[in-house]
Amino acid sequence: MKGRPILGTLAVLGYVIMIVPILFVVSTAFTAGDALTFPPQGVSLRWFGEALAYQPFVGALLSSLQLAVVSTALALLLGVPVTLAIQRGKIPGKSLVEGLFLSPLVVPELVVGLALYQQIMIGLHQTSFVALLVGHTVLLLPYAVRVTGASLALADPAVEEAARGLGASPLRTFFSVTLPLLRPGIFSAGLLSFVTSFNNVPLSLLLQSRQFRTLPVTMLDYVQQSYDPMIAAMSTLILAGTVVIAIVAEKTLGFAKIFGGINK
Amino acid sequence: MTSAAEFTGVTQSYGDTVAVENLNLEIEEGKLTTLLGPSGCGKTTTLRMLAGYITPSAGTITINGADATRLPPEKRNLGMVFQSYALFPHLTVADNVGFGLKLRKVPTDKRRELVMANLDLVGLAHLADRKPKALSGGQQQRVALARAIAISPSLLLLDEPLSNLDARLRVQMRSEIRRIQGETGLTVVLVTHDQEEALEMSDTMVVMRAGKVMQTGAPATVFTAPANRFVADFLGYENFLSQSDGSLLTVRPEHLRVSAAGLEPSTAGLTVSAVVRESVYRGVDHIVTMTAADATGTPITLVSTTRRDTLTADAGFLPGDLVVAQARDHEIVRLSADN
Repeated sequence: MKGRPILGTLAVLGYVIMIVPILFVVSTAFTAGDALTFPPQGVSLRWFGEALAYQPFVGALLSSLQLAVVSTALALLLGVPVTLAIQRGKIPGKSLVEGLFLSPLVVPELVVGLALYQQIMIGLHQTSFVALLVGHTVLLLPYAVRVTGASLALADPAVEEAARGLGASPLRTFFSVTLPLLRPGIFSAGLLSFVTSFNNVPLSLLLQSRQFRTLPVTMLDYVQQSYDPMIAAMSTLILAGTVVIAIVAEKTLGFAKIFGGINK
Repeated sequence: MTSAAEFTGVTQSYGDTVAVENLNLEIEEGKLTTLLGPSGCGKTTTLRMLAGYITPSAGTITINGADATRLPPEKRNLGMVFQSYALFPHLTVADNVGFGLKLRKVPTDKRRELVMANLDLVGLAHLADRKPKALSGGQQQRVALARAIAISPSLLLLDEPLSNLDARLRVQMRSEIRRIQGETGLTVVLVTHDQEEALEMSDTMVVMRAGKVMQTGAPATVFTAPANRFVADFLGYENFLSQSDGSLLTVRPEHLRVSAAGLEPSTAGLTVSAVVRESVYRGVDHIVTMTAADATGTPITLVSTTRRDTLTADAGFLPGDLVVAQARDHEIVRLSADN
């Protein structure tokens, strides 16, 4: 930062803007009082207990985890073969196909949500879980394709050729060479997908039902009606979970690799 | 001559580009054959067709007498060493070398034994449990070699295997590969753009240009009697002088001696008057660049790198000096007119 005072100041300012509001939320979660105010009145774990005992939050948390895990798995199962086909296969209109799989990034989620609502819930009479699963999987596909693609693009194709030359069939080569090479990329894609699904609001808002509601939507509902420290406690718990995931990811792979999807 | 592999009328084209055109080539068993040429000459395409990574557009390839034109790589039993080494980064050195043996269902004990024997051959038995990234480039190259040899391949294919190594290691690996070839009796096909490497390592050199074979022969034959101007040029001949009969003479720069005009010794052979354009001192020799005219009167540039102690003027020459460039009869190569 030395010799770059403007850049340095901007960086610090950026961190302050990002972190300070989070610190307010975290500190109010530990209040012993009844109001969501700053500074907190006393210190207690009271609201954490309340949040974990509040049935709608717990139910929604389980729903969100279920949805995030299954949609991440589906996005990877679809995305990894698509990536391989795009990067290694000889398909005509490669960039068009790639564009198609990345398009959910630019199509407004409300439009996707509405389409799924009309087609899957009304048209096919499916549950909101099925509609949400389809919606989230589509939403996560770009991450699966992009991140594993970045890691495959960096892998030397000669390594796979070497396996073939030594006697491995294409299928054998995929499982014993390509997949291990892609492991960091797949792990990164899975992590990003999981977090994206878990935090999603627009799709979940449109496709929710009384039987199936995700945590962010439930929390949004709750804030509209009551404004007490329980919401801060729940947010802090989610934050803690995210930090744990981040630490695990950093320890096993390193952030640069995860967000760059770099396999070196 | 028994051939380990044979190309008959093989053509490979991508769209409008022809990478290899009507190639006829026999790879002699137990010998080291080099495919030599500049980038884009088709040498790598030829090797990749032999390995099965590319299918020819036309023609046939046989390996040990059996048609292999459309056989996938995993059914050819060839050992390939890639320019980038292409080791499996997630496997240890021993597992890399044992990869092909495992696929061939060699029992664990026997496999371990073969892996160690092959690592011994390349002098790396002590690194068996390391991961590739903990190895230097030269060591990775040796592992790649051991991995390719471990499957007892019908042919060992080397795709520019030394080009990523530093100069000293490269020279060392040349004799190392020759030694391994001698010990194993393997048929080797080596692709390179380095004429020195080809001359030093080959039993047979195949010089290629734009998808076609320009000349095939033993290194000494190709070097002393290049078939045409391209081969001569590629092997470091310069000083191409057109003759009035349409033929071409060429002399290597290190064979062209320069003397001050009037002081030249009388020798049978080539004697050309020239004007010095530039003289660069290089320690062991000078590079003297001259302007002259060939037998047809066309202005040409002559280059001499004769050793300094043979120069008549000890301090070299200055631009504008009138000189005589000479070569003895046996140093002159005559190329036929049609090339």
